[in-house]
Amino acid sequence: MSYVSPPRMLELDMDLEELAYRLNAFQGEEGTTFDALVTEENILEVSCSNNDEFPIHITTTETQILSVSPLFTTAELEPGNSHELNEIFLRLSPAVPLSSIGLQGSTYILFGSMALDTRFENIAHELEIQAENTVDVLEAVEHLLA
Amino acid sequence: MGVLKDLFAAVKGGANEVGEAIIDANAIRILEQEIRDAENAINSSKQSLTRMKSTDIRLKREIHALSEDVKDYEEKAIAALEAEEESLAVEVAERIAEIESEHNEKSAEQAALESEIDKIHKMIKAREHTIQKNKRELDKVRTVKELQRATESVSSNFAATGTSQHRVAKALERVKSKQQNWQDRMEAGDWMSEADANSDLDAKLKAKGIGNSETGGASDVLARLKAKKGG
Repeated sequence: MSYVSPPRMLELDMDLEELAYRLNAFQGEEGTTFDALVTEENILEVSCSNNDEFPIHITTTETQILSVSPLFTTAELEPGNSHELNEIFLRLSPAVPLSSIGLQGSTYILFGSMALDTRFENIAHELEIQAENTVDVLEAVEHLLA
Repeated sequence: MGVLKDLFAAVKGGANEVGEAIIDANAIRILEQEIRDAENAINSSKQSLTRMKSTDIRLKREIHALSEDVKDYEEKAIAALEAEEESLAVEVAERIAEIESEHNEKSAEQAALESEIDKIHKMIKAREHTIQKNKRELDKVRTVKELQRATESVSSNFAATGTSQHRVAKALERVKSKQQNWQDRMEAGDWMSEADANSDLDAKLKAKGIGNSETGGASDVLARLKAKKGG
């Protein structure tokens, strides 16, 4: 084909493997470090030192990096609390910096998205914040869990 | 096709699992195919456009040449009339009429061509819009799919995906105690470096003989004794 195709959407400057490598080597200002690995399903799994109990799952689309922190499933709620939980989450979500709260299937998640060409330092920073947010959000609704 | 509309409909219908049911492989295949089709159509349109443009240029040149011819012959016809060469003038006039007719034909052809070219430009633009729109739809579809994948991926950290009792509470406890340890170590580190700094300071003062209780104490005592002795 000799024609010039319309401008393609950006490709990830570094792929998930490279992102994992850089995260593993990273040290934040407050001493934050990461443990990162790419799973067989090609999902980047990251544990942040400020919260290593709730890892972040990272994937990409043609335009974005998506970072998902699974929180808990609807089955882990004390029966009868889902309405209250949903309302708390709705009210809470806008106040959480950089992350949003959502429901995927029956799993509540915290998630963030960044442009594919985000600088690495900003990616690391967002992940740090997301891990921190996870603790805060869970503490806020802990009392509603079974 | 509106991905979000479909999603909303599914949620409204009480679907707990918004996954393969909504974003089926077909949706992605259809979008990708539409994008490919549009790109191919644009490609062949651009090739036609190139051919049309060169015809357009040729026609414009020919029309211009014909106009020049008419002007030329008109001058000659006038000259013939002035030279009272009536029959010649008539011949020239006939010739002019022929050229003008050809000129009109070609002008009409060129005008039609120009309108075709314009139509194709508009169509290419419309197709490009379609491509961009489909790409955005596709990205939405992919985002939904990737979010689902990322959520359901089984963590290598079992604490995160087990379903034991009070899983979250226990995990939070562990996180907080780790943070506390870290903080304690930080504070201990601060205290240590503070203690170091204090002993540094004392050493400095001592070196200058300031507030040195030993020598100060003895000489004070001597002074007192002398004073006693004196008085």
